[in-house]
Amino acid sequence: MTAINRPGPEGGAPPGVGGDLAARLRLVARGDGDAFDAVYDEVAPSVFGIVRRVVRDPAQSEEVTQEVLLEVWQNAARFDPGRGSATAWVMTLAHRRAIDRVRSVQKESARERRTAAADVPFDEVAEAVEASLDRERVRRCLRSLTELQRESVTLAYYGGYTYGQVASLLGVPAGTIKTRMRDALVRLRDCLGVA
Amino acid sequence: MRHGRDVHTLAGPYAMDAISAPDQARFERHLAGCAECAREIATLREATARLATAAAVPPPPALKARVMAAAAATRQRPPAAEPEEEAARRWQSRGRLAIAAGALAAAAVVAAAVVFGVSNGSMHDQLNRAQASSQQIAAVLTARDATMMTGQVKGGGTVTIVMSHARRELVFTAADLHALPDGRGYELWLIGPAGDRAVVMLSPVRHGMTGPVIAAGLRPGDHLALTAEPPGDAARSTGRPAGPMMLDVVL
Repeated sequence: MTAINRPGPEGGAPPGVGGDLAARLRLVARGDGDAFDAVYDEVAPSVFGIVRRVVRDPAQSEEVTQEVLLEVWQNAARFDPGRGSATAWVMTLAHRRAIDRVRSVQKESARERRTAAADVPFDEVAEAVEASLDRERVRRCLRSLTELQRESVTLAYYGGYTYGQVASLLGVPAGTIKTRMRDALVRLRDCLGVA
Repeated sequence: MRHGRDVHTLAGPYAMDAISAPDQARFERHLAGCAECAREIATLREATARLATAAAVPPPPALKARVMAAAAATRQRPPAAEPEEEAARRWQSRGRLAIAAGALAAAAVVAAAVVFGVSNGSMHDQLNRAQASSQQIAAVLTARDATMMTGQVKGGGTVTIVMSHARRELVFTAADLHALPDGRGYELWLIGPAGDRAVVMLSPVRHGMTGPVIAAGLRPGDHLALTAEPPGDAARSTGRPAGPMMLDVVL
């Protein structure tokens, strides 16, 4: 990974839950098992949720979730609050692991995934996203995107496709997809009021 | 940089891991020299993290015990990030043995947690205890001179020993041990010129699994012995094994 530090002491850590998570991670870094227990309770549903969304297979999703949580335990000392929130750190690990798992099996089954791709995106996300305030807000913000932005984000983040694959799935030039993805995330970020 | 602007358009795909390996490497080189870009990626990842939390579903309940047990047997990394290549090189020089042994001990702890059927309340204590010694165990397993040995127990069972001469410590695990008759229990000893030392009375055998346990303070010429001690503390009063020898390994 890169070695860039955000200036400022507590940079991206949001107040409330995220702040507590960062504090617990500091304890985990010192080998505190009780703190890790609490961290598990806090992040495991989100980790499992995003991993299962990307990986699909339940048994593999459990494996990947376990790998992610173990990575959190092992690398807690390397979490740097100056670079972003604890939640973002954990979810980045989770999503990367899920993607790694998908890409490692993708070569054999590229064709199947391509056929399955058509029915992945938004409806299913919307269904799974239940009526908590937080989820409602994410759903609302996804709706505020243009259709192309939304499809790009859901295919990439939940579907696990590269921007090049998304481009060919949607029949849009890759350069367009790249910029739509960035625009979409900027809009999401501002809509969600994070960072 | 001539292509800087072009590279920067990868920010969106990068923040969602929607990028091929070569593009990722290219973008990370770009990030290394662009603090502003790194800040942008960090803020975009706050947004993608919310996409993840919005997808939350409860994991299967059994997963937690597996994760906690695996963590208890896994060494944590230190805070200062070493340059990746350096870390990789050092890790490789430790060889496959240590890695295999680590996996083995992790499996043993997981198996122990599962097999001993620890239920809610005691699970936590048990894991805390396991974790207390896990640092010591991990230190042996990852020692540069770690060597692994296996041995057969009289009456059935296999033991696996990972030893570090430099640390003068070993990690002992056993599988498929038979339950002993007449209330006897397995006791682990260090026996040698420096005298006989009782290491630990192994927990009662259930489903044949025991360990991992640590034996520290190894001396030159020591053997590791497993005996079948009768109930009571005959051995304790004499400081010598009272029961028959079930295993004798020259260290």
